[in-house]
Amino acid sequence: MKNRLLAIAPSVLAVALAMLLGFVVVALTKGVSEAAGAFASMFAGAFGEPSRVDELGVFAFLRPWGESATKATLLTLTGLSVAVAFRVGLFNIGAQGQLVVGALVAALAGAHLALPAGLHAVVALGLAAVAGGAWASLAAWLKVRRGVHEVISTIMLNWVALRLVEGWLVPGPARAQVEGNNSINGTDQVLPGAELPNLFGESSRLNAGFLLAVGVALALLFFLQRSVRGFEWKVAGLNPHAAKAAGVPLERTVVQAMAVAGACAGLAGAVLVLGTEHRYPGTISAPWGFDGIAMALLGQGHPLGVLASAVWFGALRAGGTRLQLAGIHKSFPELIQGVALVLVAARAAWERLLARAVRRA
Amino acid sequence: MIALEHISKRFGSCVALDDVSLTLSPGERLAVVGENGAGKSSLMNVLYGLYQPDVGQVRFGGETVRLSSPKDAVRRGIGMVHQHFALVPTLTVAENVMLGHEPLRRGLLDARAAREEVVRAAKAAGFALDPDATVGGLTVGSQQKVEILKALARGAKTLILDEPTAVLTPQEADELFASARALSEQGTSVVLISHKLAEVLAFATRIAVLRRGKLVRADLEPAKTSPAELAALMVGEGVALDVPTGSGVAAGAKEVLRLERLEAKGLARVSLTVRAGEVVGIAGVDGNGQRELAEVLTGARPWTAGTFTLLGQQRSALTPADCHALGIAHVPEDRLRDAVVKDLTVEENVALGRHGAAPNARGPWVDVAGRHANAVTLMEASDVRPREPLLRLGELSGGNQQKLVVGRELQGTPTLVVAVQPTRGLDLLAVAEVRRRLRQVADAGAGVLVVSLDLDEVRALADTIVVLAHGRVTGTFARGEADERELGRRMLAVSA
Amino acid sequence: MLEFFHTLLFSTLEAAPPLVFAAVGASLCERAGVVNVGVEGMMRAGAFAAAAAALVMPTPLGVVVGALAGASLAAVHGLLCIRLRSDQVVSGMALNLVMLALGTFLLEAVFHSSSGSTPITQLSRLSLGSIDAVPLLGALFNHSALTYLAVLAPLLAHWALKHTRWGLRVRAVGEQPQAVAAVGIPVGTLRFSAVLLSGALAGVGGAVLSTATLDHFEHHMPSGLGFMAVAAMVFGRWTPLGAAGAATFFALADSLRIGLASSAPSLAQLVPGGVQLALPYALTLLVLAVQGQRGGAPAALGQSFDLERR
Repeated sequence: MKNRLLAIAPSVLAVALAMLLGFVVVALTKGVSEAAGAFASMFAGAFGEPSRVDELGVFAFLRPWGESATKATLLTLTGLSVAVAFRVGLFNIGAQGQLVVGALVAALAGAHLALPAGLHAVVALGLAAVAGGAWASLAAWLKVRRGVHEVISTIMLNWVALRLVEGWLVPGPARAQVEGNNSINGTDQVLPGAELPNLFGESSRLNAGFLLAVGVALALLFFLQRSVRGFEWKVAGLNPHAAKAAGVPLERTVVQAMAVAGACAGLAGAVLVLGTEHRYPGTISAPWGFDGIAMALLGQGHPLGVLASAVWFGALRAGGTRLQLAGIHKSFPELIQGVALVLVAARAAWERLLARAVRRA
Repeated sequence: MIALEHISKRFGSCVALDDVSLTLSPGERLAVVGENGAGKSSLMNVLYGLYQPDVGQVRFGGETVRLSSPKDAVRRGIGMVHQHFALVPTLTVAENVMLGHEPLRRGLLDARAAREEVVRAAKAAGFALDPDATVGGLTVGSQQKVEILKALARGAKTLILDEPTAVLTPQEADELFASARALSEQGTSVVLISHKLAEVLAFATRIAVLRRGKLVRADLEPAKTSPAELAALMVGEGVALDVPTGSGVAAGAKEVLRLERLEAKGLARVSLTVRAGEVVGIAGVDGNGQRELAEVLTGARPWTAGTFTLLGQQRSALTPADCHALGIAHVPEDRLRDAVVKDLTVEENVALGRHGAAPNARGPWVDVAGRHANAVTLMEASDVRPREPLLRLGELSGGNQQKLVVGRELQGTPTLVVAVQPTRGLDLLAVAEVRRRLRQVADAGAGVLVVSLDLDEVRALADTIVVLAHGRVTGTFARGEADERELGRRMLAVSA
Repeated sequence: MLEFFHTLLFSTLEAAPPLVFAAVGASLCERAGVVNVGVEGMMRAGAFAAAAAALVMPTPLGVVVGALAGASLAAVHGLLCIRLRSDQVVSGMALNLVMLALGTFLLEAVFHSSSGSTPITQLSRLSLGSIDAVPLLGALFNHSALTYLAVLAPLLAHWALKHTRWGLRVRAVGEQPQAVAAVGIPVGTLRFSAVLLSGALAGVGGAVLSTATLDHFEHHMPSGLGFMAVAAMVFGRWTPLGAAGAATFFALADSLRIGLASSAPSLAQLVPGGVQLALPYALTLLVLAVQGQRGGAPAALGQSFDLERR
């Protein structure tokens, strides 16, 4: 237990320190009480507003939770994508591209397939996962067959996906039919039967996507820690030579893990389209795939760690919109997340400090 | 006169050097001997400014000097030829030699001066080297000459040779020692770090012995000592280091392995047999096909032609998974690279290779309890300490890691054991133990194939010695049939 | 037709400098053995700092500030990778994410805008009057000084690697840091110098965007050019000349795309713009797939170095 606490300490400390730094910066520029107010409204926007329970009832909580959960869902899935690839020793910088591909496939499947409600959503999710997985497998194939480093190939694949989807398909062949005089940026709206249902009706955007993300995290946790195949992934990631000598089919392992990673990112794209946007919008402006790298690292590659950091930063981001009122840009939580990531990257320093503190204690 | 006084150095909890004092006179040829890990290299790294001693000082002619980097040491005339060459393979000989003390003309590199310096230094040492050749394309022997040139070009008056013959043929080694002797006669002091007692006795004018970080003797004269005395001083007690020769191969023992005219990348027309109860030793200079042969036998490298017969059955291909199924045990050269995972627990490492079958797994799921119990049993049988299956493997000592690997691989009844450099980096007691285990499985009916760069090891262990050079078999000898010179000639593939 | 090539040449010379500076910088950093996927962030830092500084000082000095901003971000990268031995890819990506958010945040905080900063005086252009109109020859003029510096930078970097002491040591340290340490050269300091230089060059590359290409910082800058610079460096096999060549090729391809869109609209219909935009990246992938393996990468790339490691 003590070891477990020590293991997560660098991440927790990094996030706490980043938040503190953010607070100090705001306090220095705008004053302490303004900073406190801004942070309070950010937390209210993230986790709920007890003061407005009389007025809004449970929705004083459910509405902010819905906003937080939509963001946390995407962060969880892209974070898992990066974390799974890490498990076999690959750095998946390509979650963004895999997400874009998955989102497009989900949008097309959601709009143009004729299937019973519910099943339609499942099929659209499945196809998006397959598409994201296939896109990621390209990088894995280039790695095992041609020795191309995955960092380079996934960066390239990101841009190829983005240019093809947002530079060609979405504004071109896949663009929505014009309805009357309104030209629409983006693809056709998905059919109602393909949408992910809201869990609490219209007043909260909390949808089934969040349950899906939690489910994927738990399933991966069980797979990685308890299955023979999961053990092989771990060995392949920690020491490919020993894995090979132990009879682990290395190339297959790498391709499979990368496909699962891509499937997670593809699911993120599908949840974005089927749960929130209901079409592929003109552009997906937020770099969810890159944020996934932050989630995976802050979560130390552990599915539950990824989930925890995704929930935390998803909530902060949802609350970030409230910061506008205090004159702070809504990208503030992303800044905190970036600083936390830099601090986690400096892990070696943390660990040295902690080890010294523990020795003294 | 150089004096190291009361030097101590720790790495974490490991004491590398404990109050060592040693002197060196001009023109002297001092050999520092000791087992692996006795502190020889650490001591020399202190003298070369790579390590800072925790306690103690270095004096040059009575003046106390702080060597805070190799630069300081070089300024004092120390030159070091590392065990693992410190050369940049993509640069030329001249660029490598000038690196760190580049001749400049108007602020820019003076390539011509560098080239002339190489030619001049090479002439003095009697080496033939092209200054414009890319170092990566040179033979190991030539690369070592580049290392020596680097030291001489910096005006080295003291030359440290760290295990210089580990990668050389006997002939190349003779050449090296002839050059070094010539240099010492011109006034250069030479320190030879080695654990090969024969070459130490032949080359040095004085011998110092280190044991577990402590200086045992510093005043041995080669003429007045013997390999037996040196070995005893190195190990500390009268240990029986002989390997029992096996009961021999029974007449008509069945063939475990037969290779006929096997072709693979790095191997050409290799034919050899291993019979049940036989230890076959593969001798050769590093990089002549030994690694490739071991890889073919353990399923890591495909062969392109020839026949491969295992237990009377001809095979067309072999994967690492097949090897586990067929009972081919593999003790690889670099255990931390090929055999174990240092960031997994000991029990996970014990399971590795058989991780998909009982007792380590049940169906597609890991059997945590079964795996644990199996690890406990194996650690007991192989005397792996400490007996904590949940410890991270990296926290075991090298010797215990190797005992774990040997124990794991010899678990069950292997039919063929492929051991590559199985005793590298172990202390003499562990070496003897590993050799005994290998002999033991052979006597129990397995075929054993040992690849070693240490000719003495091959000669001590093997019933049959197969020499590889340039990927070909250049000689097959029964125990005692060939002397070291003959083997050396075969290793270089030159006819007598 | 002549006019078409004139425009093509002119716009290539306009588009190439940001990529060339960044790619050459990246090649120096990686030749020293330090992975730099943080080029995008360093360019963003340079673009923002240059545009902000040029409000209170002459624009050329603003470009210097841009270089310093890129170098400061690189200093963090160096601190993380060299001193603290963090994973170099993680460090680079972390800095990209920080700069992505910080750029947006500062734009809002300083300029109260979510789209772009206050316009500045653009860098002056080298005009030779009537010669500017001469077909092709004239396309070589009327560029900012940075364009001409971008021609010099790769030559200078190549020459420095080949003929200076620092260059020899950088080439050595990316291949075999042990060899460099063994002759008494401090590996960390040497690598740090290459990382800083790389950051400064990326900063200049970003500054080109906000002081020469445009007259302000735009919220999306450098919109992926940093990653394209990394691609150019890989494409150019980790050499300054190769990286600059690939960067110029990418810029040419982009100019060709824009040129064709207006002069030959039928072609744009045949090969949609988005496909053309994807081509440089796809081509880089293809080249990597064909040449296979590490394709010229320094042997010690991405490995941290610890002198007393046992």
